[in-house]
Amino acid sequence: MAKGLDFETLVSCHYQSLYQFAFSLARDEADACDLTQQTFCIWAAKGHQLRDESKVKTWLFTTLHREFLGARRKQIRFPHVELDQAAAELPVVPATALNRLDVNQVLAALAQLDEIYRAPVALFYLQDHSYLEIAEILEVPIGTVKSRLARGLDRLHRLLTGDTAIGSPLRSTDP
Amino acid sequence: MNRDEAKNILLLYRPDSADAADPQFTEALSLVKQDAELADWFGRHCARQESLRATFRQIQAPAGLKEQIISEQAAREKIIVWRRNTGLMAVAAAVVALLVLATLWLRPQISDNSLALYRDRMVGAALRAYAMDLTTDNPAQIRSYLEQNRAPADYVLPASLTKVAVTGCAIQSWQGAKVSMICFRTGKPLAPGEQSDLWLFVIDRTLVKNAPPAGLPQLAKVNQVITAAWTEGDKLYLLGTEGDEQAIRQLL
Repeated sequence: MAKGLDFETLVSCHYQSLYQFAFSLARDEADACDLTQQTFCIWAAKGHQLRDESKVKTWLFTTLHREFLGARRKQIRFPHVELDQAAAELPVVPATALNRLDVNQVLAALAQLDEIYRAPVALFYLQDHSYLEIAEILEVPIGTVKSRLARGLDRLHRLLTGDTAIGSPLRSTDP
Repeated sequence: MNRDEAKNILLLYRPDSADAADPQFTEALSLVKQDAELADWFGRHCARQESLRATFRQIQAPAGLKEQIISEQAAREKIIVWRRNTGLMAVAAAVVALLVLATLWLRPQISDNSLALYRDRMVGAALRAYAMDLTTDNPAQIRSYLEQNRAPADYVLPASLTKVAVTGCAIQSWQGAKVSMICFRTGKPLAPGEQSDLWLFVIDRTLVKNAPPAGLPQLAKVNQVITAAWTEGDKLYLLGTEGDEQAIRQLL
């Protein structure tokens, strides 16, 4: 049981990385705050059911991801599109400018990815988790994580560099 | 493992992370040390990964988010405690209400059978417009009637009272027991519609608490009626008439 974990300490340890993950998925500050807060709220109600304290971080990320997917499902049923989101055009960044990216460019590119690639790519770059933990968070086998990552990273790279050649193998291109 | 296979594996490699110790990368990383072209590619790959990682890490939670999460949880817990307490208070209130109802329900059974209450009730009966069950000036008929109706009939009258004319009798009730009410007329002028101005109530003495000891009549006034209560044998007698103490004493 994870009874011994103090709520404030838990929030202090994980709210920042959870928010980064939430923002990577939602691309909206208010939504990311809601997701982060909701995750801790669920922890307060159900966290005592977790037997292994070492799994707390994974549990929190899994919960946040589930909440995001749940919210997305509702959004699809009842679409709510902001004007600036609809008009957003992804800027094309030259390959040489990859070292000068800003968050908005990267997250805009991330948002262009299919949903199944978005969460693994975000977790990959946030670098808080091993591949095994990413598989636990996303509740898919580790092999699936790797294949989604390979495709997701490839597409993200192409979006950022303006290389729109679909299906061209990444291994044959310069990183 | 050739160069392309190594690149394919190293695409998922994250520099400065636990990936360096991950067995899946070991062979590809060792190939990097042997292949200059692969090492060049790997260097640029790591730079790109670093750049993207740094970009993701630029995401900062808004100021106050942590405090908001903590304070809202504290508020939520207070509400939970309040609801729990409210629930307990509601249960406590329900218990108190049940106790009050039970007390009210049981109260008639815990009756007051004191002499004072008995005296008040009997005087009240005499002052109200009562109907005599038997109207007669024959003391024997009264005794007979009371006996037939299982009311106290073997009473003993003080000598002075035997000289007062009877007018009849009635049977009253005291907590389920029968009380013999013998009515007299002293000879004084009566109020219109009245037949009696002196009343004697007889009951089993065990049915009234605080009955006076034998030989010691207890006088008390209830409204305008002066009463005397005394015991003799197994009976409690209560005599009442309008007037003063002297009026009643001369009848005892």
